[in-house]
Amino acid sequence: MRTSFDESHSNPRAVAYARATIDLASRDVRIEDVPCRNLEDVLGGFGRSFQILAERTITHAFTPDNPLIINTGALTASNVTTGLRTYFSAYSPLKASNKGLPAAMWSAGSCKFGPKLKWTGLDEVILEGRADAPVYLVIRHSEQGPQIGFEPAGDLIGLTCHEKIMWLRDRYADAHFAAIGPAGEHYEDCYMAAVALSTENQLKSGDDKCRWAGRGGMGAVMGYKRVLAIVAQAPDRLAKLKPEIRDINKAVTSGPGSRKFREKEKGGLGGTWSNYEPLEKFHFVPQNNFRPAGDGKPELMFRDNVQPDFVVKAESCFRCGISCHKNVYEKNADGTRGAFLAKFDYEPLNLLSTNLGIHDPRKATVLISLVDRLGMDNISVGTTISYVMDYNQRHPDKPILNGATFGDFDKARELVEGAGTGKFPEVGRGVKRLSQSLGETGYAMHCKGLEFPAYQPDTNPGYPWAIAGGHMSMATYMALALEGNTSLDYWASLITQRGLYFVRDDLLGLCKFAGVTGDHVVEALKQEIGFEVTTAELLAGVRRSFVRALWLERRQGYDRAEYTMPSEVFDRPNPNLGVPPFVTREFFSELSDRVWAVFDKEIDEMAKA
Amino acid sequence: MPRIRFTNLFAERIGGVNSVDVQGATIESSLRALTDRHPDLTPLVWAKDGALNSLMVLFLNNRQLGAAEIGTPVGPSDEIDIVSALEGG
Repeated sequence: MRTSFDESHSNPRAVAYARATIDLASRDVRIEDVPCRNLEDVLGGFGRSFQILAERTITHAFTPDNPLIINTGALTASNVTTGLRTYFSAYSPLKASNKGLPAAMWSAGSCKFGPKLKWTGLDEVILEGRADAPVYLVIRHSEQGPQIGFEPAGDLIGLTCHEKIMWLRDRYADAHFAAIGPAGEHYEDCYMAAVALSTENQLKSGDDKCRWAGRGGMGAVMGYKRVLAIVAQAPDRLAKLKPEIRDINKAVTSGPGSRKFREKEKGGLGGTWSNYEPLEKFHFVPQNNFRPAGDGKPELMFRDNVQPDFVVKAESCFRCGISCHKNVYEKNADGTRGAFLAKFDYEPLNLLSTNLGIHDPRKATVLISLVDRLGMDNISVGTTISYVMDYNQRHPDKPILNGATFGDFDKARELVEGAGTGKFPEVGRGVKRLSQSLGETGYAMHCKGLEFPAYQPDTNPGYPWAIAGGHMSMATYMALALEGNTSLDYWASLITQRGLYFVRDDLLGLCKFAGVTGDHVVEALKQEIGFEVTTAELLAGVRRSFVRALWLERRQGYDRAEYTMPSEVFDRPNPNLGVPPFVTREFFSELSDRVWAVFDKEIDEMAKA
Repeated sequence: MPRIRFTNLFAERIGGVNSVDVQGATIESSLRALTDRHPDLTPLVWAKDGALNSLMVLFLNNRQLGAAEIGTPVGPSDEIDIVSALEGG
C-alpha cells in the first residue's frame, strides 16, 4: 500500500493499493495504484472485494464476467503476528439463492502466500475472463515492479493440491503457491472446490500440510477460469520490528486471546480439537447428520483418547507463535514420530468422522487427508455426505449413490473420492441441490446453500444471518453452551449487535485465532501503515461491510423465507440434547422479525447510497 | 490489585476493554468484583447456580487452575485469565 498523508492520517483517500487486473483470455495485464474510497478499501479483504463485486451484475458463477478477486488485508505481510491472510472473493457456485443467482462470497486462508503476494508489490489481483487452456500464473517481484507471466499447466492437470505445490516448489525458489486440486478441475461437478495455500512447513518437509481458502467454492471459480495455480515469487521484505508491534505480538502469543489454540504446555487449551469435550457435556457434538445420540461415542475422538496411539505435534504458520495446527503423525514402535497423517481441527474431524457415524481416528485421518488432496471444503463435503447417509437410512429400499449409511467408512471414502473427481456430482454440488432434487430438504443441513459447520443448528438460530459460512461469519454458534440464554432479546441482540463483528479480521488480514484486541488493531494500523482510525470507526467499517453482504444477498434474489433453518430443527426436536428445544417456529418467526427490523433499515440506507 | 484479563468475547460487552484491575483476595472474590462492576459479564462468568460457568477456564499467572481452585488467594501483582473452553472451528 502507498500512503500520501498530509495533515490527517485518517483520510482513506490518502491511501492507495496496488492492483493487477489480469484478462485471462487476452492475457492483457493492467497494474495500477488504486486510491481508496473509504475505510473498507483501506482495511481490505472482503470489505474491499465486496464493493467490487457489488459493481457487477452476475447471474451465473461460471461466466467470464465473474471476477476472482485475490486480495490481502491491511495487516497482511505486516509484522503483526498472524498477519498472513489471503482472501479469495467471487460470486459463488455453491451459495446461491432459490432464484438460481449466485451469491457474493469470500474465503480466507493463512500462511505465507499472502505475504509473498504482497511482497511482489501487489495488494490485489483480479482474474477476469477465462483462459483458453489450463495455465498457471507467475507473479514476480522485480525492480521495475510486479511482473506477471502465464505458463502452460499441462503438467499440473490431475495432480492433487499438494502434488501441484511440490511440482512448483521444485521450479520456483523463494516463492509460495495457491493451487486447486482435482475438485477444482472438475468445477462443473464440484462446486465445493477449495484453494490450497502452501505453508513453510510443507515446502520444507514435503508433507501435505496446505492451508485452505475452503468455503464457498472459490476453487471451482478458479477451475472454471482454467487457472490451476498461482506462484507468488518475491524475497521476504519484512520491515524492522517496531517496539509497539513487538508488544502487541507478545500480548497475542502469551495473552488470553489465543489460549484456546495454544498447547497446554504453553498455557493453552489444545486447539479447536478440544471443542469436543465442552460440547459433549451438553450432547452438542454432531452425530449422524447433526442428530446427537447421547451415547458417549464422541468421546472416542477426544484428544486424550486419540493421542496415545499417535504423535500429535503442534505446528504453525509462518512466524506464528500460537501453533494452532495439531498435526497427527504415525507413532513408531519406539514412540518416535513417523509419517504425517492429517491435521486435526474440530470441523473436519467431526464432520468427516463422528457426524458420519465413524468413530475411529485412523479412519478420520484417511478421510481428512483425501479431502485435502482432492482440494475440497471439508465442511461442505462432510455435511453433504452425512445427508446422503441419513437419506439412505430413511430409505433402505431406494438408496442413492453408493448406498452409504452411517458408519460405513469404505463408502464414505468412495463418496469423497467421487465428489472430488466428478464421479458424484450429487455430492460435489452440495446438500442444497441434492436435497431439493430428492424432495427431502428438512434434514439438509445448510442455509442459503452453504453447509453447516459442526455446531448443532438446534442450538444456533443465528445461522441464517451468517454471510460466509455458519460459524466464521456470525459468532452465535457457541452462545447457547456458553450462556444458556434462550430469550428473544438475547438472540436478537447477539445477532445484530455482537455476532456480526466476528468478521472484523476478514478485512484486516489477521487470523481470528489470535484474538487481537480492538485497541491493538488500531495501534497496529497506525504503526504498520500510518493510518489512524478509532475503534468506533473500525467497527463501523466492519458493520458496513457486513450489511453490504446482506444487501448483496438480497440483490441476488434471496428472500426472507430463505433465512431459515432446516425444517426438522422445528418439527423434530432432539430429546438427546442437553437443553430443552427452544428454536420453535414461533420463536424463530419472532426472532426473524426483530433481526430484520434492524438490518432492513441499514440495508435500505446502503441501497440508497 | 490483581488484574483480570479476558478475550474479545468479554471485551465486546464492556466497551472493548480487555482487562480490568479489581479488588479481591481470592480468584473468586476478584471475579465477583469484576461482575459487580460489569454485570453484563455475569452470564459468562457465573452459572445460574452461582458457581463458575462450567465452560470457563481459569489461569493464574499462566498456570491453569481447576474449578475447585477458585478460592486460591491472589495478590496485587497477580494476573488472572478467564477464557472460554469453546472457541474457533
